[in-house]
Amino acid sequence: MRNRGRTAFIVTYLAPATLLYGVFVIWPVLQAFGFSFYKWSGMSANKTFVGFDNFKQLFHDSVFWQALEHNALIFLIGGGAILVIGVGIAHAMQGEGRLTKVLRSVYLFPNIMSLVVVAILWEFVYDPNIGLVSSLMRLFDGPVRAGAPPVDHSILGSATKALPAVIVTFVWFAVGFYIMLFSTGIRQIPSEVVEASKLDGAEGFHQFRKITLPLLWSVGRIAVIYLVINTLNVFALVFLMTQGGPDRKTEVMLTYLYEQAFVNSDYGAATALAIANFVIVMAVSGIVLRLTRKDPAGASR
Amino acid sequence: MKTHFLALAVASASLGVLIGGCSGGSNESTADKSKHLDVVSFQGGFGIDFFKQAAKEYEANHPGVTISLTGGPRVWEQLRPQFASGTPPSLTWPGWGMDYWALIYDKQVLPLNDALAKPAFDGKGTWRDTFDPALLKLGEYQGQQYELPYHYNIMGWWYNPDTFAKHGWAVPKTFSELIALCPKIKAAGMAPLTYQGQYPDYTIKGFLFPWVISIGGIKAADDAQSLVPGAWKSDAFLQAARMIKQLRDQGFFEDGANSLSHTQSQTDFLAGKAAMIPCGTWLESEMKKTMPPGAKMAFMMPPVVDGGKGDPSAIMIGIEPWIIPTAGSNHELAIDFYKFMTSLDKAKQFVTECGTLTAIKGSDQAKMPETLVEPARLFRQSKTVYSIQFDTWYSTLGTESKHAMEALLNGSNTPEQFVDRLEAEAEKVRQSKKPIHTMTH
Repeated sequence: MRNRGRTAFIVTYLAPATLLYGVFVIWPVLQAFGFSFYKWSGMSANKTFVGFDNFKQLFHDSVFWQALEHNALIFLIGGGAILVIGVGIAHAMQGEGRLTKVLRSVYLFPNIMSLVVVAILWEFVYDPNIGLVSSLMRLFDGPVRAGAPPVDHSILGSATKALPAVIVTFVWFAVGFYIMLFSTGIRQIPSEVVEASKLDGAEGFHQFRKITLPLLWSVGRIAVIYLVINTLNVFALVFLMTQGGPDRKTEVMLTYLYEQAFVNSDYGAATALAIANFVIVMAVSGIVLRLTRKDPAGASR
Repeated sequence: MKTHFLALAVASASLGVLIGGCSGGSNESTADKSKHLDVVSFQGGFGIDFFKQAAKEYEANHPGVTISLTGGPRVWEQLRPQFASGTPPSLTWPGWGMDYWALIYDKQVLPLNDALAKPAFDGKGTWRDTFDPALLKLGEYQGQQYELPYHYNIMGWWYNPDTFAKHGWAVPKTFSELIALCPKIKAAGMAPLTYQGQYPDYTIKGFLFPWVISIGGIKAADDAQSLVPGAWKSDAFLQAARMIKQLRDQGFFEDGANSLSHTQSQTDFLAGKAAMIPCGTWLESEMKKTMPPGAKMAFMMPPVVDGGKGDPSAIMIGIEPWIIPTAGSNHELAIDFYKFMTSLDKAKQFVTECGTLTAIKGSDQAKMPETLVEPARLFRQSKTVYSIQFDTWYSTLGTESKHAMEALLNGSNTPEQFVDRLEAEAEKVRQSKKPIHTMTH
């Protein structure tokens, strides 16, 4: 009797959340799975069932692979930089100096800003006329040789500089969150461990490498998973800064999805891409979790 | 007790508001639904006040008719789900972000040949006769009219007449005159040309196509837009691409133009950093708010190629049309309201108030901004009026052309690679099951 009451109690409390989750998350995802088997403009009720055609097309679409490659580069280079900078600054922030205090009050600023503001801000930094970067580039311009093609100080319009520029902006914007994550992680390292290591003579970088870093393992895993999700799903920043251009040199999966859905009116292809993106994020996250399963600081943590 | 009373008072008060609200609403629901129009308009540089005013006038002349006119700067995003769920408005200008042709292929747009064969607003001739035929043609598919033009733009180049007069420069009429003039402009400390690098449609419409037509005649462009095999890598396209590369290699483009947005490059032009820029007749209204005092602009034709086959009077125009959704309500009323908007009086008023040309014959007799007079005259005199439509007909080719243009302008593609890419994408469209349009002159 008591048990049944308990069950009813639990069900009552779980039902609203489950229902909302089902209606607003599960159902749309299932619906997307459904759309990916149709040819559909997204603008009428006319859908044609095409089976796996949208997926076949996707795997033969060089733009998709190019976009995926850019996502991977953002993850590897941008994500790598974020981990290094994040751990470094989080470590540096543990002291009590004046610089630390300044760091502590500013590191989350970029994260608080709207992405739109971030994009506009960095478009100014990269502006070919008045931007900081192009001004620096001009300092290193050699003398103008007669007959040589003109030097182009474009950054976001340059085939080689656009993606690095977007990655730098991404790192600048995203790193604050990871600093916070790591700094919380560092503060949770038991002080007796740190003190014991100090008594044993570990100091500075040595202590950081032997004590802090291994004990941050579980936080690091979470950080990498977040990075997988954030870099494979990056959209707004790229869309606002370059729209995937020039010549698809900054195209990522979700900007291409937008193009398929809203420029090419091909909702089937767009949802197929959405599902591929979903599967890739799940798979990479799974691989990361598996690869990092073994905690060097011991299984207990 | 006291609190109970208070609660009761609040409750009855809000009930009163509710009932009041309902009775207010019931007025509307008793209004004749067969006499109601939902009109949704893109809200760009011209705003929607003109259309709202027109709706009020129409309501005043037609007792019982109600029109709700709404708009937004990205109105196509709201319209898409409305189309998908079968509840689109009665009449709409969905704006540049709407994939019009996907709607037309999907039979979501009402065919209008019958309506156009009926009398015009003033009763003289048919409704069709009131439109400029070259503009009406742009909304046609397989002999049936789907899109109706209202205003139109003319595409060309712009220069500052004061600057040119001050330095004693003549407006270049041919490409060789342009090439001879550019070093003089550079010597005066200006970039000869700038462009909207973030949006390559401007360079496709401002450089590529005018030169393709100048070299190979209008047929070269028509064939490309009709996807005739080989047309995109014809000699005309290759040479036109080489001309663009030549301007780039000789340093005649503004440094960094590849990164500039439309407003940035247009601001640079108006600030005197560059002498010329490709743009449509919307330039003045777009830049009005940020224009430096005393800045001047005048229209010029893109310089033609010496000894080219093409008609030097060929002029490029573009429309942003209105449509009547098939699933919308009250088609007849929607047609009648649009007919009212296209009456000569209304069209002339639009030219004066919004500062742009309209597709209604005779509306160019209205008072218009000074910058429009010259392009309007060139349009009237032109023997070859054309429009770029391939990018809206075949969206994937449109996108590829923009990417290829970016690569040509930033030097990562040669002119040969540029035309090969375009032809390859055209072939992909031919292989797909998408409808193919034909364009002729």
